[in-house]
This record gives sequence, structure tokens and C-alpha cells, in this order.
Amino acid sequence: MPLTSALRRSPRDAADTPSTLRRHINLTLELAWTQFKLKYTGSVLGYFWSLLKPLMLFSIMYAIFVVLFKQRANEFALQLLVGVVVFTFFTDATGVAMSSIAGAGHLIRKAYFPRGILVVASTISALLTMMINLTLIIVVATPLGHLHFGIRSLALPLLLVELYVLSLGFAFLLSSLFVFYRDLGHIWEIVTQVLFYASAIVYPSTVVPARFRGFFFINPVAQIVEDVRHAIVIQVVPWTAGYVGLRALIPLGLTVSILGFGLLVFRRLTPVFAEYL
Amino acid sequence: MTKRFRIPQDRSATLKYRLTHPRSTSKYHDFLALEDVSFDVPHGEFIGIIGRNGSGKSTLLKILSQIYVPTSGSVVVDGLVSPFLELGVGFNPELTARENVLLNGAVLGLNRRELNRRMEAMIHFAELEQFVNTKLKNFSSGMQVRLAFTVAIQAEAAILLMDEVLAVGDARFQAKCFEVFNRYKREGRTIVLVTHDLAAVDLYCDSAVLLEHGKVIGEGLPSEVTAKYRRMVADEQEADAIASGKAGHAAKQDSTATRWGNGDVRIIGIRLENGHGEEHTNFEADEPMKIHIDLEGHRDVDDIVVGIGIHRADGAVIGGTNTRIGRTPLPPLSPGDRLRVTYDMERLPLLAGVYRLTLAAHPVIHSLTYDHLEQAVEFRVTDESGRTGLFDFGGAWAVTSGQPTGAVA
Repeated sequence: MPLTSALRRSPRDAADTPSTLRRHINLTLELAWTQFKLKYTGSVLGYFWSLLKPLMLFSIMYAIFVVLFKQRANEFALQLLVGVVVFTFFTDATGVAMSSIAGAGHLIRKAYFPRGILVVASTISALLTMMINLTLIIVVATPLGHLHFGIRSLALPLLLVELYVLSLGFAFLLSSLFVFYRDLGHIWEIVTQVLFYASAIVYPSTVVPARFRGFFFINPVAQIVEDVRHAIVIQVVPWTAGYVGLRALIPLGLTVSILGFGLLVFRRLTPVFAEYL
Repeated sequence: MTKRFRIPQDRSATLKYRLTHPRSTSKYHDFLALEDVSFDVPHGEFIGIIGRNGSGKSTLLKILSQIYVPTSGSVVVDGLVSPFLELGVGFNPELTARENVLLNGAVLGLNRRELNRRMEAMIHFAELEQFVNTKLKNFSSGMQVRLAFTVAIQAEAAILLMDEVLAVGDARFQAKCFEVFNRYKREGRTIVLVTHDLAAVDLYCDSAVLLEHGKVIGEGLPSEVTAKYRRMVADEQEADAIASGKAGHAAKQDSTATRWGNGDVRIIGIRLENGHGEEHTNFEADEPMKIHIDLEGHRDVDDIVVGIGIHRADGAVIGGTNTRIGRTPLPPLSPGDRLRVTYDMERLPLLAGVYRLTLAAHPVIHSLTYDHLEQAVEFRVTDESGRTGLFDFGGAWAVTSGQPTGAVA
């Protein structure tokens, strides 16, 4: 017996309050900024941890692959660093976003606002970290002369958008499923580990036999890492499109589909979040 | 509108379980939290939702706020709804008072500029001037409530949903709450209040809804709906009392009340009446009030004094008197004899507030007690005159010309 409960319009709503979209953007940014702050307050080194972590990973990889295995490319150091920073963003954003819904149970049970805001906010705070890290790399590496700025660098913002869209897609998918299946946390750790080694971050993609490259660059993460290197590092690795031709559209399509699928799943599951948490 | 919860018997929240038991239809038992609930709230109305714990009040509020989705039926909401149901929901203990205000303000839909503009006034209102940059985890619970309340009332939404906001905080805090409710009413906002405070519903609401087992069993004027609820609870307590063999002792007792005495004389009923002879828990200042106390003898007793004491909400005694001081001797009682003792005030001297009544029966030499009910009955006094404090001195003002006869320091 569906009946309605109508709460009629008040004269005070419409005009004097900012638009819904404006309010939601404002809330997203406020949440992102808070998360960013919270992550680094209370620790002595504060923000530097988020720089130190990729730097440590870089140093270890550098020691193993360049010093120990005598990987010849000296310029490879910067490529390695860029790859690590990009990949750190991907794991950061997806990892933090995964628990953004499940970890906000109190808020979700007792207050209403679009739940997607929580997911977007946590990816934005990871984005902030990556932006600062990239800026620092550019500032430090430019005098060393390993960076390149030219026409091809214009692709960098587009690649970062692709990276963000990909991370956001996974973020929506993971955060909604994680509410119901907590195993996902462990599964995703393994998946990212596999992706790390499958994405030519710690080795130049040239070691991949040419006939496998088409297959290799289907992986959007591998494609993004490689193309970001092409865009800003002096040691020119070619555009992935140069290796694989039209198949370069596959990672792009995958990225967009993952976002679409993530949003779809998130939308379907949103109504039951409050009941499960 | 109906809301059904499927409560899993054993939450199979691991993927392994799902994979190894692909066909197992998880065991659920259905729970109808709300069944065919339907009502309208006209714009600008203050509606109270009452009912016992588990009757579906909070579920209803969550559906109104879109936190839950109804299983069937629909809710039509016209206007901006305040997002918070309770006080301090989004507070983070690791953030300072100022940061929490900014974050929670954003959930309410206010931007940083607007919040910074209001910040000083808010902090002043919350009486937290010295703690603006203190982390919330170092706040006392009273300070947190004050801050939460201050943020919550910044909401500009036309429709406010509130779940038990009155349950936290002391008498002074509640007074502040009511001030704000009054302001909201003047501004024509719509308020849905879920509460156990029946006196507040009587006083402030335009209408009330009574829920029981997920169904609306009472709807309409607050005084009628709260009366129905009181009757429902009282009947049940009586039934319980009979079941546990304590029939006849159904004197209304607050759960916090304590009772002692040897039981030679028992207080078996208390009734507060207004000037029209109606039983009530709300009184107007300056209006008549009668306190009826019903006694029952359990042994032969010829030496009885009945006394009353009135307490402030925090327990402090404001005043007390008894039948001996009032030179009203009581007749002797034998087992089974009943007696009604009445204290009649033509003009209630108390001002706005919540008060509690203590009742006692004892011999003239108060070395033993027959029956004592400590702060057993709560009542509320309202007053529109603007007088402050607990009671009216009853004096009168006059102005005469001439030389002052008294010196001021």
C-alpha cells in the first residue's frame, strides 16, 4: 500500500542556498583536504612520508636492477622513479578508496549525502600526494638534465586524467564490494603486486619480446606508465601506440569501461550500504 | 510505506564462503520494521514521533532522510532536508574544534567562507573560546555536545530530522534546544522529532505519531497521542506488576526513582491535576496545581504524616512541607483502608523548568519511614512572562517620588 508523505516546499530553500552540485563539490574537497591532513598530522616527518615511501621503493629497485644486475641504462633511474610515483598513486588511491565506504559506517548510518563523495574524496587526497611528488621530481631532476619538456609533454595532463579515471573506476568498484566482501582487501593487494611487475616499472619495456608487446600494453597501467615516461623523460621510449598501433585503443576502452562498470556496481549497491554497515 | 530488513542468521561476508557454497541460500529471518506506515507532514509543522524502543521510530527517520530505502511505498520530500540525524555524527576526534566545524559545516552544505564568517559567533555560543584549536579527543563530552549542537543549528535546510537530540546534555542544554525549536517554528521550518520526552512533544509539537511494532497506532494532537502512549505503558506496567505479584503498588515511578520504607502504609497513587481537574505533567506558572496522594494501610497505624518535596531537575531541593507543618492530622489506618491526601496550590509559584516530586509517609517522630518515593514524578512548568530563576517571589512593584531612604553602598 504505497502512500506518500509530502513535506511541502519552504519559502527559504531555493534562492539563498548554493546549488546542490556546488555543495557536493565543496563537501568533496573539504573531505579530501581533511583526509590529506589527517594522514600526515601526528607523525614527526608528516608529509615527507608520502615522498619517502616511493623514494625507498625506488632506491631498492635501483639497487637491485641497476647496481646489482647492471641494467645498463643509467637514464633508466628517472624512468624508474616516474613509474614508481605513478604506480604509487594507483595503489594509494584504490587502496584508500576501498575502505572509504566501509570505514565511514557511523557517518553513513546517521547522515545523508551522496555516498560517492566519500570515494571521490579519498582518490583526490591521493591525487594531491602524487601531484606534489611529481612536482618535486620535476624540480629536483630538471637541473640534472634528465627531463624533457617539449610538444610531447603536452600529453602528460591527458595521461594523468586517464590514470585518474582508471583509479576512480576501480575505487568505485572496490569500495562498494568491500562493504560485503572483506576478503577483497587481501585480493586487491595481490592484484596490485602482479600489476606492478606486469607493468614494466622496474624494467624497461624493451625487455619484453616485440611479439608480446601488443598483448603487454593492453594493461592500462603499463600503457600509462610507459607514455608518461615518453612525455617527460629525456631517454625517449616511444609512445605505446608506436608499438601496438590501433590496439592502443584497448587500454583506453578498458579504462572507460572500468569506470562505467564501477559506477554501475556502486549505484546498484548504494541503497544497502547503510543496512550492512 | 513498508520497510523489511533481512537479518542474516550468519553473515557470510567472506568470498570463500560464497565460492564454496555457491548454492546456499543464506538463512535470513525477515523483520518488518515498518508496516504500511503513512502520514503527511504539512510544511512548517513540528511533528513528534514517539513509541517504545524498537517500535521503528529511528528506521522511519532514516527512510525520511534517504539513508534507508523503503521496501515498498515511497516518500515524497519537498524541500532541502538536513543531512544529520544526530548530534556530532561526523566529528573526528583527531581534528580540532575549528576543523570539525569546517568539515561538518560542509556536510550541512555550507562553504568555508560562510563558516569562517560565523566561526567566532559559533565558538562563543558553544562557550569554547579557549579550545578552538584543541583536538576534539581532548574535549569533555559536554564540550563535544555543545560544539555538535552549535554546528547542527547552522543547518539552513527547511526540513530538520532529529533523533533523540534531547537525550544528551543537561537541563541547561535542553533549554537551549527548546529555544532553537521555537526559533525554527517562527521561521516556518518543518521539524520531525523522534523522542522519548513526552512532555516535550506535548509542549512543542503541532502533531504526533505513535508507533508500535512498526505500525502507526496513534496520530493527531500531541496531548491525545502522548496520553495514549502513557496509558499503553501504564497498562503494561500494571500487567507486569500483577504478573510479578505486586498488584496494587502501581504507583507511577520513574526508572531512576528509589523507594524505601517498612510498608506499614503504602503510597499507591500519585496524581497531579491542573486547575480544570485534569491529570497532567505540564503546568503553567501561576496556574493552580493539586497533588493527590493515595495511601493504603497495611497494618494498624495511628500516627501518619505525609510530606512532599520538590526538586530541581538536577536533584537539588527547592522546598518541602508535610501534613504536620500544615496542621492537618490524618485519621488512623487499618489494613486495606485507603485515604487520599491532597496538597492544593491556588497559584503554582514555580517558573519554567523541569521539576521532580518526592513523596513520603512517616510517623510524627520521623525515626522510621512507612514509604518514601524519592523524586518519583517529573513535571514541567512553562512560563511566557520572561521571569527568570526557579520561582516567583510574589511581590509587587510600586513607584513613589521623594528622597531615597536607603543608601546604596
